[in-house]
Amino acid sequence: MLGTNKDLSERTLGWLLLTPVAVLLAVVVVYPVGQLIYSSFFTIRLTEPWLGTPFVGLDNYVKAWDDDRFWGALRNTILFIVVTVPGSLALGLGLAMLANMPFKRKWPVRLALLVPWALPLVFAGLIFRWFFDFRLGFVNDIVMKLGMEPLAWLTQPLLAKLAICITIIWKSSSFMALVLLAGLQAIPKSLYEAAEVDGASKWLQFKEITVPMLMPAIFVALIFRTITAIQTFDIPYAMTGGGPGEATETLAMYIHKNTLDFLDFGYGSALATIMFIVSIVATSGYLRYTQRSAGRD
Amino acid sequence: MNFTAIKTKTMVLFAATIVVVNGFFPALWILFTSLKTENELLQFPITYFPRDPTLANYYQAFTEKPLHLFILNSVIVAGASTIITVIVSALAAYSLTRLKMPRRNLIMGVLMAVSMFPLISLIVPLFQVMRELSLLNTYLSLILPYTVLSLPVCTLVMASFFQDISPDLEAAAMVDGCTRVQALFKIVMPLAAPGVFTAAILAFVNAWDEFLLALTFLSRENMRTLSVGITLYQGEFAFPWPLISAALIVAIVPVCILIAIFQERVVGGLTAGGVKG
Repeated sequence: MLGTNKDLSERTLGWLLLTPVAVLLAVVVVYPVGQLIYSSFFTIRLTEPWLGTPFVGLDNYVKAWDDDRFWGALRNTILFIVVTVPGSLALGLGLAMLANMPFKRKWPVRLALLVPWALPLVFAGLIFRWFFDFRLGFVNDIVMKLGMEPLAWLTQPLLAKLAICITIIWKSSSFMALVLLAGLQAIPKSLYEAAEVDGASKWLQFKEITVPMLMPAIFVALIFRTITAIQTFDIPYAMTGGGPGEATETLAMYIHKNTLDFLDFGYGSALATIMFIVSIVATSGYLRYTQRSAGRD
Repeated sequence: MNFTAIKTKTMVLFAATIVVVNGFFPALWILFTSLKTENELLQFPITYFPRDPTLANYYQAFTEKPLHLFILNSVIVAGASTIITVIVSALAAYSLTRLKMPRRNLIMGVLMAVSMFPLISLIVPLFQVMRELSLLNTYLSLILPYTVLSLPVCTLVMASFFQDISPDLEAAAMVDGCTRVQALFKIVMPLAAPGVFTAAILAFVNAWDEFLLALTFLSRENMRTLSVGITLYQGEFAFPWPLISAALIVAIVPVCILIAIFQERVVGGLTAGGVKG
């Protein structure tokens, strides 16, 4: 009897301690999401207040379907995902392997992985914008030293996309490397020693031990990266502002533009809802994976 | 034997150099830029090391724009949201690890799902909410969302630290007349101090770095945080690179020092959030 009473009061206290989180989530996430989906069915244009806010059903979504700029932004977002997710995995894995060497002093290498992580995305964008500057940038200086003509990195559509991808890969690979490094350090040394005894080459060791043992960490890092790549905003905003034209505009930038510049809240809400659904799909994939691995523990 | 030792040593040194250059090069380049005179900066072809180092750009960065206000705003917003996040997530982590809560995994799962939520989707409705509550251009409009932004990872990090503290200590404290909540703040929190600290640093860096919400909710120049203030330094015609570089260094250095001091904890916290899921 006494035991169950204690359990009950513990449970009450437990819920009580979770209340602040619940309230914050309700105010900052749940209510706004409800409002977002609701608004997406209305015309809400602050620039044309005489329209009122009539219910328009799925009109905003139909508008998106016919909106070339939306498809362009979607294409750019997908391009950035497809290029930078594997790109930052490759660079991150490389950095992690290098950082996993037996150093006498660990801090310089660790700090070198932490600094890019702690650098705000938008600052990374600014710094690389300076790197890719046509006249005074570091990159074109190298290009000219190699005997080529300077390249219009930020004003030629294809090069601008490339410059943004390079920046995103540099910025995101350090977090990737930190997660993968933790995974590498968890692999028992004895496995490699045994393989060494059996005469397995370094490449075979990498393929047969490192990669399979690292798979869970790689998977988690990939999902995290994909989810943040869907939301790409800061780096293109700082580097090109979406230009030239709309060549590097992402979905997040287009949503921001529709809402904050064009003040078209109905349409912006519809676009944001589409993005929300895409993210939910990616997140649920991640959750299914972690719940499964939690069950295995 | 000796040859292999030297070979290994060279390889290790080579590896370290690559990682260090990759990590520090952009920040170093900006540091060099910030020390160049305007004349040297506009020279063509460009110079690598400042020939005539000057601090004039730093002085100008503070006088041309209210950089000191940007710093103050960032400190207030990041500081306040860090404190709230740590308290709220400590309570949640305690509830989830030390009390017999049903559906613990589900609650954790919901928290993780929230952490992956696209901020841009929240911006449209939050902007409307903040406008209705007249919270635009107030610190609160950022403190609230930043708190939620860091809640999941902080809860996770603290939960993993709380789990390692023996329940007997708490039981003993409660026998001595402490209530559960007193035991949390007097026994568990001090023992989990490294975890609390890790969570605080992660929350602080998250808030310090955030750009999108700060850009959207604070339109008045004097209210801008560092990330927005510096990005919008650009004049009407050109990017004042010397000023921006100096301002960037001012903004980056405090965070670099913070993570340099607490690097082991930061790495532990990041990977706990990443690998354990």
